[in-house]
Amino acid sequence: MPQAETVVAGPEVLLEDVTVRYGRNARSLTTAVEGVSLTLADGEFTVLVGPSGCGKTTLLRVVAGFERATEGTALVRGSAPAPGTGTGVVFQQPRLFPWRTVGGNIAFALARHGVPREQRAARTAELLERVGLAGKAARRTWELSGGQQQRVAIARALAGEPRLLLMDEPFAALDALTRERLQEEVRTLAATSGTTVLFVTHSAEEAVLLGTRVLVMAAPPGSPGRIVSELAVDLPRTSDTDPAALRATPDFARLRGELTATMREAATLDA
Amino acid sequence: MTLTTAPKKPAAAPEKPAPTTPRTAPRFAALRWAALRWAALRLVALAVLLGAWQLVVAAELWPRVLVPSPGEVWHQFVQSSTVHDGVRGQSGHLLIEHLGVSLRRIGIGTGYAVLAGVPLGLLIGAVRPIAVVLEPAVTFLRTLPPLAYLSLLVIWFGIDESPKVWLLIIASLPPIAAATAAAVRTVPEHLIEAARALGAGPLSLLLSVRLPSALPEILTGVRIAVGVAYTSVVAAETINGVPGIGGMIRDAQRYNQTAVVIVGIIAIGLSGILLDALLKGLERALVPWRGRK
Repeated sequence: MPQAETVVAGPEVLLEDVTVRYGRNARSLTTAVEGVSLTLADGEFTVLVGPSGCGKTTLLRVVAGFERATEGTALVRGSAPAPGTGTGVVFQQPRLFPWRTVGGNIAFALARHGVPREQRAARTAELLERVGLAGKAARRTWELSGGQQQRVAIARALAGEPRLLLMDEPFAALDALTRERLQEEVRTLAATSGTTVLFVTHSAEEAVLLGTRVLVMAAPPGSPGRIVSELAVDLPRTSDTDPAALRATPDFARLRGELTATMREAATLDA
Repeated sequence: MTLTTAPKKPAAAPEKPAPTTPRTAPRFAALRWAALRWAALRLVALAVLLGAWQLVVAAELWPRVLVPSPGEVWHQFVQSSTVHDGVRGQSGHLLIEHLGVSLRRIGIGTGYAVLAGVPLGLLIGAVRPIAVVLEPAVTFLRTLPPLAYLSLLVIWFGIDESPKVWLLIIASLPPIAAATAAAVRTVPEHLIEAARALGAGPLSLLLSVRLPSALPEILTGVRIAVGVAYTSVVAAETINGVPGIGGMIRDAQRYNQTAVVIVGIIAIGLSGILLDALLKGLERALVPWRGRK
């Protein structure tokens, strides 16, 4: 029993000196990330920011259980990460199942999490409402816009009531207006549900807007990615903060400037 | 109730019965006109073909027995479709009955082939050891001409219905199994990953992700299989094939009834086109997401 308590009290995610290498033999071996240590506390909204190719997606995939750390330790709630064990993942593309309706996609997730058949319709409607798609359960996925599809993907990831939500540049393919709206929704969702979020992006603006804590990753040419800097975002935010107003504050501009400078500096650093 | 609906209905009903075309009509009309033109082109091509055929016959390049005229073929078509002088059609059955029996064999054969081929393809596509053992066997079967194993089937199953159905099963199973296996292997990895993230286990991945994702290709496989069954039905009906369109053709061949052979060929071809169109429609209904994201 005391063991169970330590697990609950421990961090949601713990990475210790994680290195990921790809390749079959020594010659083709490439190191994607090297020596990354990281802890995510319960309920924290952490953003992993950096240029493309710096290994942030690799790191997220390690936490999701899709990728295994070549060296070091990765733990989610005290055990080795495995897909489908209480961690929700939202990818850059919606990845909806086209042979299922919008509601069917969510019902699939509900079924995998043991929600009895007779409760699925109600839960599906509830989840769709949470992402602003009430009444769209019967639609085919391709009838929805890109932004709506991504909302379905978010609802689907939330269906299992994950303690940890991993988001890999979920809004990168969306237009600016849709992106802004979804950013705000995700922030509110995370804040109200107390879900721990690890959010990957290459945008400094998005990082400052969403994260309470921003980790900067970089991979200077020829060297593996690592976490080079950490920034605490202490913007005055409540659930009804207007993101546009927030963006206009000097604090926001300062943090975004700091972060951009850090990212730029990190990209040119020698390993 | 009548009060509320009353003002609405008369508003539309007493209007003139729309003698003028609606505003969107010109475009539809143009489309219909285009479709008509293509249909007309087909008819012209058919007429040219028939004309050329008639010319060849009139020139008497070959004896009439070898190359009958379109008129004779038509006559045989009418003869084989009716009861005349107490004779029922061709070889004792009407053309439509021959065709019906053959179609039934094709239906049963490909039906069993789907029932066995899809699970087999799923296993081959998903389970490596099974693929190693069974995939060469499927390829082996696929390359065999049906006439090659007909003799064996006759020895085993006699000359009744079962060897014919077995032949059609053996002929149409490999394309279905192969298409299913290939499709199951090429299920987009990103969908597999999404499903795993949602908590899908191996069985659920196979049945709820790989199978539906492979459905478009499976249906293409079924269409190919029906085609193969069609091309094999004449072989299947080589022995004791009457009634059956293949049997009818064999019979006609025995008595040098060239026109009847041609009637049989045309009947097979036309029904094949129809059936393929039907399967295409089924495909559209079953996999509306085909070609979409």
